[in-house]
Amino acid sequence: MVLPAEIRSFLSEAGELSRFTGRFFSQAFRPRYELYEFTRQCYLIGYSSLPLIGLTSFIMGLVLTMQLRPSMVDYGVESELPSIVGIAIVREIGPVISALIFAGKIGSSIGAELGSMKVTEQIDAMEVSGTNPFKYLVVTRVFAATLMLPVLIILGDTISLYGSFLGVNIRGTTSSHLFWTQVIDSLAFSDVLPAFIKTYFFGFAVGIIGCYKGYNSSKGTEGVGRSANSAVVVASVMVFVIDLLAVQITDLLGLN
Amino acid sequence: MPEEATIVQSDQLISADTANAVSILHLYKSFGNNHVLIDFNLAIKKGESVVVLGKSGSGKSVLIKCIIGLLKPDKGTIAVFGKNVSEIKEEELDKLRAKVGFLFQSNALYDSMTVRENLEFPLRRHWIKVSQVEVNKMVLEALDDVGLAHTVDMMPVELSGGMRKRIALARTLILKPEIILYDEPTTGLDPITGKEIIDLMNDIQEKYNTTSLIISHDMNCVRMTSDRVVILVEGKCYANDTWDRLQQNKDPKVKQFFE
Amino acid sequence: MPRKKINTIKLGAFVLTGLLALVLLLYMIGKNQNLFGSTYVLKARFENIQGLVAGNNVRYAGIQTGTVKVINIVDDTTIEIVMLIEKRMLKIIRKNAVVSIGTDGFVGNKVVNISPARQRSDIAQEGDILLSKKSVATDDMLQLLSKTNTDISVIAAELKTTVQRINQSDALWSLLNDKSIPQNIRLAVANIRSATDKANNTVASFQAVASDIQQGKGSVGTLLKDTVFAANLNEAILKIKSVGGQADSLLYEINTMVAGIKEDKDNGNGTLHALFKDSGIVIKLNASLDNIQRGTDGFNQNMEALKHNFLFRGFFKKKAKQQEKENKLKNTASQ
Repeated sequence: MVLPAEIRSFLSEAGELSRFTGRFFSQAFRPRYELYEFTRQCYLIGYSSLPLIGLTSFIMGLVLTMQLRPSMVDYGVESELPSIVGIAIVREIGPVISALIFAGKIGSSIGAELGSMKVTEQIDAMEVSGTNPFKYLVVTRVFAATLMLPVLIILGDTISLYGSFLGVNIRGTTSSHLFWTQVIDSLAFSDVLPAFIKTYFFGFAVGIIGCYKGYNSSKGTEGVGRSANSAVVVASVMVFVIDLLAVQITDLLGLN
Repeated sequence: MPEEATIVQSDQLISADTANAVSILHLYKSFGNNHVLIDFNLAIKKGESVVVLGKSGSGKSVLIKCIIGLLKPDKGTIAVFGKNVSEIKEEELDKLRAKVGFLFQSNALYDSMTVRENLEFPLRRHWIKVSQVEVNKMVLEALDDVGLAHTVDMMPVELSGGMRKRIALARTLILKPEIILYDEPTTGLDPITGKEIIDLMNDIQEKYNTTSLIISHDMNCVRMTSDRVVILVEGKCYANDTWDRLQQNKDPKVKQFFE
Repeated sequence: MPRKKINTIKLGAFVLTGLLALVLLLYMIGKNQNLFGSTYVLKARFENIQGLVAGNNVRYAGIQTGTVKVINIVDDTTIEIVMLIEKRMLKIIRKNAVVSIGTDGFVGNKVVNISPARQRSDIAQEGDILLSKKSVATDDMLQLLSKTNTDISVIAAELKTTVQRINQSDALWSLLNDKSIPQNIRLAVANIRSATDKANNTVASFQAVASDIQQGKGSVGTLLKDTVFAANLNEAILKIKSVGGQADSLLYEINTMVAGIKEDKDNGNGTLHALFKDSGIVIKLNASLDNIQRGTDGFNQNMEALKHNFLFRGFFKKKAKQQEKENKLKNTASQ
């Protein structure tokens, strides 16, 4: 069977990525554990992304509230604004927007970093220096991304809701106590938990795709740029695909 | 020169196995349909400095990556200090690698680390139990060997190409390796800096009595560092002799390197 | 290494803040759903829970006091809801409190309302089943409204025929217009009343006599032997009879009189006829009929307004369609 070249390259890419993921799982839970490097990556991937994620989340919450207000006023349910914004942010907008920003920042930086390490033989040098580069570079980064993105998103959601609180108060007055009571009242565990769990998958996808693209970067500086770029694109698409899967799974489980 | 003198009698060379630092026997390596190494044989005695000469793309880098275990050969054996690199376990390979230094063509300095951290990296990674004081001493000693003790807290990007090469060499030296593999040590450097590196290589050879395997196509470098030159043509060890004698060789495939 | 230390501290602060935010959020939601903290269980049984689901709020006199934990189907007509109620209500909710299912706002979630009863009762304990009240559902409301509507239309139709009949009845009109008749009737009624009063008195005295007889035996014999008294009694009874007869004849007279009036009117002579020619009365009559008409119109308008109310639009459309269908059927039948 002859397939068009594009489909074949897409399929082989998917296969390679799956194999890379398999390699990750086969290596991740065997010693030696690169704890120090993992902590360092957590700092770089998690803490250093907070200002960016915080800023975008804040603006998102504020803008979403201001955009929703006219319609809410039309329907005469202006007082429901905090509840609606709360659900929108916690369930969908917070996780997805933050994951996309994260994919842009971390996916590209991992892709470029590992790509340039590959090209300048630093990965080989590590192996020669008695280090399993896959464990040292890939496992630590993927774990750091998987564990840090949920923390970032929780903080981002909080900041976003604060932005929304300010947005509500631009044209109306709602005490912060009432605002938070309304937001919390409108939320249930079935809103928070699926949204929280899917963020782990977002983080994992961003980490593993960034590492895969960087680790398999072709020679030359152009290859590094390409792997950084495609890491962002593929990771962003994966975020949406995972989001789609997540909503279907929660639907099947009857949590919606 | 009679031609039979230049053709390698590999089996004889490998017979004295324990005396050899590296012995390579019937090595095959290919990437897809590209057969890079075809029945390659080579033995390097302890303390010897061997240069592998070949056109780019002839498989020189593949050869030394096979020796250090970065690439797995398709067929054949590579013994380093009598241990078959492609068959031993990972921990043993790591122990073996501690005795083998590798100077990469692109230096492979870790961009995110300072010079000190770069030098400490192999020390810490090889499970060598030394105190911080000793580590500092070893780092400074290695940097002293390459004459760059003042750069200890700089980042690699702040250094010039020649300095980076020397730092990379210092990193290779820090574990006091018995074998050093040089991958094109003078490529990308100006002739003067290249000369400095070559001098450094010779100093190290003398000081630590290391075994060297140098890959190069820089004839200056080959001339000044080699005890013996191996010419790699079409995946085979085509010629194996001293620099002076090969220079006299009339074989066209040998001769083309000396023009 | 100082650099490393700062990193770890910042990282630790970052991760802990994130986890704290998550835990806080989950705790607040959990507190809202009464998953933590002390609660007790109350139950209620319904025939229809109208879409209530686990997690809906429970309110006592409008105060948020708990949530619905689970809904059990006991049998085909009984559904039991199990409610988690905050412990602080343990001293408040009594056994005779009434549970009903309502809606939060007009289109909001279902809520369970517990309302206190007026009478005193014991405090409800863990696991008690409270009384339940069937709540008013929109469906039931509409059904009831439809029934009321048909009733009203029947009444209106009957009212119409009655009014028509009144309109057409000349006898009644003439009767109404004759001023002497009411007077006569009043007189006759007064006579009847006085006659009846007298009869009453007689009966009372008779009763007194009877009691006398019961009291004293001595006088009974003499009384019974007294023929004059008997004759008097007879006479009295006869008189009562004649009063009844007079009343009968009075009624007869009224009857004949009405017939006479009718005849007079029909033949075109007598005072009544003249009265009927009086246009003022006719106008008054007309006005009063107008008033009735207006009243019906008003009712019609009310019904129309109801029709246009969006809530009932569908209902009336359905009704109109049905009507049309029936008309069509009738048409085809008549053809």
